[in-house]
Amino acid sequence: MSSSVFRRPRRMVALAGGAVAAMLLTGCGGGLLGGDSGGSAEEGPIVLGMVTPLSGSSAAIGPYMKNGAKLAVDEINSDGGVDGRELKLIVEDGACDAKTAAAAANKLVTQEVDISVGGYCSGATLPTLPIFNKAGVPMLIPAANSTELVDQGLDNVFLINGTGTQQADAAVAYMEKAGATKVALMDDNTSYSFDIADLTGERLKESGGPELVAHESVTAGESDYSANVNAVLKADPDFVYWTGYYQEGGLIIRQLRQAGYDGAVMVGDGSVDAKLMEIAGDQNADGILATMTQTPDTIEGAEDWISNYKDKFGSAPGPYSTQSYDAVRVAAEAVKNAGSTETGAVIDALEGIDGFELFSGPLKFTDEHTLSSGGFQILESQDGTFVLKDSLQ
Amino acid sequence: MSQLIWNGLFVGSFYALVALGYSMVYGIIKLLNFAHGDIYMLGAFAGFAMLTVGGGLATSFGFVALLVVLVLAMLLTGTAGLVLERVAYRPLRGAPRLSVLITAVGASFALEYGMRLVAGPNPQVYPVRLAGTSLHILGARITLEQLALVGIAVALMAGLQYLVMGTSTGRAMRAISMDPKASLFMGINVDKVIARTFFLGSALAGAAGVMAGAYYGKIDFLMGFIIGLKAFTAAVIGGIGNIKGAMLGGLTLGMLESFGTAWLGGEWRDVFAFAFLILFLTVRPTGILGERVTERV
Repeated sequence: MSSSVFRRPRRMVALAGGAVAAMLLTGCGGGLLGGDSGGSAEEGPIVLGMVTPLSGSSAAIGPYMKNGAKLAVDEINSDGGVDGRELKLIVEDGACDAKTAAAAANKLVTQEVDISVGGYCSGATLPTLPIFNKAGVPMLIPAANSTELVDQGLDNVFLINGTGTQQADAAVAYMEKAGATKVALMDDNTSYSFDIADLTGERLKESGGPELVAHESVTAGESDYSANVNAVLKADPDFVYWTGYYQEGGLIIRQLRQAGYDGAVMVGDGSVDAKLMEIAGDQNADGILATMTQTPDTIEGAEDWISNYKDKFGSAPGPYSTQSYDAVRVAAEAVKNAGSTETGAVIDALEGIDGFELFSGPLKFTDEHTLSSGGFQILESQDGTFVLKDSLQ
Repeated sequence: MSQLIWNGLFVGSFYALVALGYSMVYGIIKLLNFAHGDIYMLGAFAGFAMLTVGGGLATSFGFVALLVVLVLAMLLTGTAGLVLERVAYRPLRGAPRLSVLITAVGASFALEYGMRLVAGPNPQVYPVRLAGTSLHILGARITLEQLALVGIAVALMAGLQYLVMGTSTGRAMRAISMDPKASLFMGINVDKVIARTFFLGSALAGAAGVMAGAYYGKIDFLMGFIIGLKAFTAAVIGGIGNIKGAMLGGLTLGMLESFGTAWLGGEWRDVFAFAFLILFLTVRPTGILGERVTERV
């Protein structure tokens, strides 16, 4: 029989097994690698490594991230590189799986990458942290955003995407703005999803605005959520916030509507997918709100960037293309300021960046190495796609 | 209250349909067929494939098309059950119980990841959806489609009950479950009857798969895993090996989940339902309607 690992890999807590495998692999590799890439710190190409899912359940995301990063690399190289040094991007498949990602990270380390610009699934990114840390590779993580990534306090880890805390802030800000009075939270009991719901609940209690009337956890992987829907509707909410993934999200939206609920429904970033609307069914799919970080489609003034991307890769950019593009640019900026790719100097340079323009706004890392503002915004579904509803600026 | 009961009955009728296959197979050859939940998944995908190929024809005929697809999918999953039994279980007929159990787990994996290769890892959405107007009966919100699905489930179970209790094949099944060797001496073709049992159980699971696909709309290659566990629980609660017990167990489990969610909250539902399983196993291991069992796995 299968374990739920195969089903819910994205941003899930790293499995002990994966972590152990990662440790073992690091242990084996340690002797060969011996810390930093040594003599190449001030000459030769600057090697950027990216672990991203190119197979498995999140395989659709990998190319978006890879191409976004590639675009930035090519732009910087055609401008003469960084201090005359070229950027070189190496992409490895992490499959959104802890063990595969750890192996991929080790492979990158043996290829002497200077900076890592990958990381999509939090669960698969967590085991790569000690590997890169031990090898002295600074990490700019473009997509993965579990607070667990920074909870370990590793000095080489920086998040380019907003965190769960920031997502909860955005959710509560919009609930207040929309005039919600009774809010029900639903999560799927995985750490990523439960965290957002829990943090949202705490903020609702603090804010004194909308009242938290229900917090329901469902079991992922089932079809019938009528009992949960029933329990939520008994509290008579006028705003439901689902923080899990799109598969259950679609079913829950459909079953909420079938049970006669006609208030607002908002979903978290794990549910922003066209399949959500397909599963919910046409008549239920319009007007679904979502908390989501910026995608190229929702950023004003990104038209030129989008057309460049399309010219180069023959397809439209998607989620996390911009963040990956930004991760490469931030890496280049840090190396430029540091004057070398020596680990400590790059980390100092990253911490020193202030006001560098990203798609999500001017960059300044917090002490925890997260973005000072999350850049979460509110999307709304219309005719099968999510469009910008409120940028919460 | 009446809404809780109806929700429980509706979900329970799915559990019951799948639990029947578990229970029949266990009753006749004492095998826990862990691949049974995946036969349910196979049924859902078979229905999906037929409805997609049928395209416009299916959407314009709606419910009738679904019924035709249901029957075809049942034949298909029934055949899949036959193949499974022939390939994976019959060669191990004389082997220790544990070997067959592990083979069943292997068969489950093979079906799941085989389907992943064919249909991909992403969930699929049924082209025909059952979502209709709801009626209010005694304070419960009930849709005609739900009633129709429960009706189909009841009809299938009644048919099975007749088949097992009123036909010679059924008599042979019951005889084998009592004593396979003696049945062989009495001139019963044991292999053939066991194969028929697999066909029937798998067809019922396939029917449940198509019904779930059409009602809930979302199917994926791992959808059989949880319902397989739930159906197994239902079969144990009702009394494994007992056909009426499987039906009753399915409905009981549906009710337990429905009321567990309402009383304790969604995160406690499975704790509540599975605590009952443990309670049954300790206090009354033979289940509600179970017969005395001297051997256990």
